[in-house]
Amino acid sequence: MRASILLHRYLLTQALLLCLITPPALAQDTQQRPAPPRTTVAGYMDLHFNKAEFEDGRIDFHRFVLLFSHSFTDRIRFVGELELEHALVEGLEEAGELELEQAYIDFLLTRGFNVRAGMMLMPIGIINERHEPPSYYGVERPFVDTFIVPSTWFEVGAGIHGEVGGGWRYRAFLTAPMNAAEFSADEGIREGRQKGANANLGRLAATGRVEYVGYPGLTIGASAWTGHSGFEFRPLFDVPVSLVEADARYSRGRVDLRGQFAQTWLGNVGRLNDILALRIGVNPNLGRSMRGFYTEAGYWILSGGDFGDVGTFVRYENFDTQFKMPDGYVGLPAFDRDAWVIGANYWPHPDIAVKVDYSILRSQSSVIEAPNSFNLGLGWWF
Amino acid sequence: MVVLMRYMLGSITLALVVSAILVAPPVWPGKAAAAQEVQIVDIVAERFRFTPSEIRVKAGTRLAIRLRSEDTIHGFHLVGTDVDLDIPSRGGEAAVMFRPEAGRYTFECSRLCGAGHSYMRGVIIATD
Repeated sequence: MRASILLHRYLLTQALLLCLITPPALAQDTQQRPAPPRTTVAGYMDLHFNKAEFEDGRIDFHRFVLLFSHSFTDRIRFVGELELEHALVEGLEEAGELELEQAYIDFLLTRGFNVRAGMMLMPIGIINERHEPPSYYGVERPFVDTFIVPSTWFEVGAGIHGEVGGGWRYRAFLTAPMNAAEFSADEGIREGRQKGANANLGRLAATGRVEYVGYPGLTIGASAWTGHSGFEFRPLFDVPVSLVEADARYSRGRVDLRGQFAQTWLGNVGRLNDILALRIGVNPNLGRSMRGFYTEAGYWILSGGDFGDVGTFVRYENFDTQFKMPDGYVGLPAFDRDAWVIGANYWPHPDIAVKVDYSILRSQSSVIEAPNSFNLGLGWWF
Repeated sequence: MVVLMRYMLGSITLALVVSAILVAPPVWPGKAAAAQEVQIVDIVAERFRFTPSEIRVKAGTRLAIRLRSEDTIHGFHLVGTDVDLDIPSRGGEAAVMFRPEAGRYTFECSRLCGAGHSYMRGVIIATD
């Protein structure tokens, strides 16, 4: 009898101990089985109010974005991103744009080697692949990620990506090139994106990124893009374009830090300026190099409270779309700009951001003033 | 009364033992030592990475994987298995138990979490 009770006690103790180290949430059965096909939808929205100096305020439903993902199998996946900008499409970009920013198939072969084909984001810079409104400070994206790295930069192509261990990742894509006929002095290469719209594929462009994500909260990356962009001209002449970029982000606890540097080089720019002057009647005065960088520091003054989180930030940017000029050309000081942006984000929920900032934009020109602006934003992810 | 208490005690013990066996399937004697270990692994998910993204363990080790997000809702899907759970957005936690046999187990985010969602992958490497 006593032995029986002791046995019972022993078994009970063992069972309780086993249950304690195996709480119900951890007790999920793991059976080997292929995942059934499934489709998911997500998206983000971005509503802005901008009040530039000397102008009336404007409110703009800047972005309405839907993302789709469909897993055919565990190893074959479709991802799509459709974006409506400025709420209305009338055929001109100033009124609005409907853009297919992503539509690719991923063939997930191994951890270190995967193949992607379709419409893809260029793996360059912090914002281009990571632009969900709650994930960054500031109502508008950084100037450098607009004028030097033309975010959102997407193009049709194919390539490979993977993680090789130790926190190192890579991506390498071949895509359609940029169109040099659309370059401009104030916006750099931005308007040269073909966006997969019946894109010229005479000579492929190449882009790639190497990234380290092995330390908690830290991301360090370097990217490059190179292509030949003179395909639209007759007689044909070459306009080689290269861009290099490096960036770093660190987020831990209440602190967010990030920085980015990017520089672009154009070849045969003197001749490109001459030919564009004949086409459009005005010499575009393109620079042979464009450069920009920014640093940003953020600090969460409220974190983990019942009513959400609040973070403040300050960002300094410096960018010049005529950093180096071709022989015989002089750059305009108005395009040598820098900016201080200071503001705050309030996250009532991790997927909703209410943003406010003030942007002090300056140029080297004593004639043309760059306007400061007050900005309010509401962005959310679902 | 004594008989009733003995009956109740026996029933409770039996139920606990059966449930313990169900959540902890038996292992072969050669792997018993590894199987008795419970190794807690903390994984942080954020756009668009898992940290750590590579976990090396001894085959048969019982892994208690605790999951936390730094931003939005992510998913944790062990490819080839039916382990697929949501990681709540910042402030919440999730957990799952997994006992790998020798091999490589890819895990990935199963909640569409942004433009770089496809890069959120990692691997559990279990060796003898």
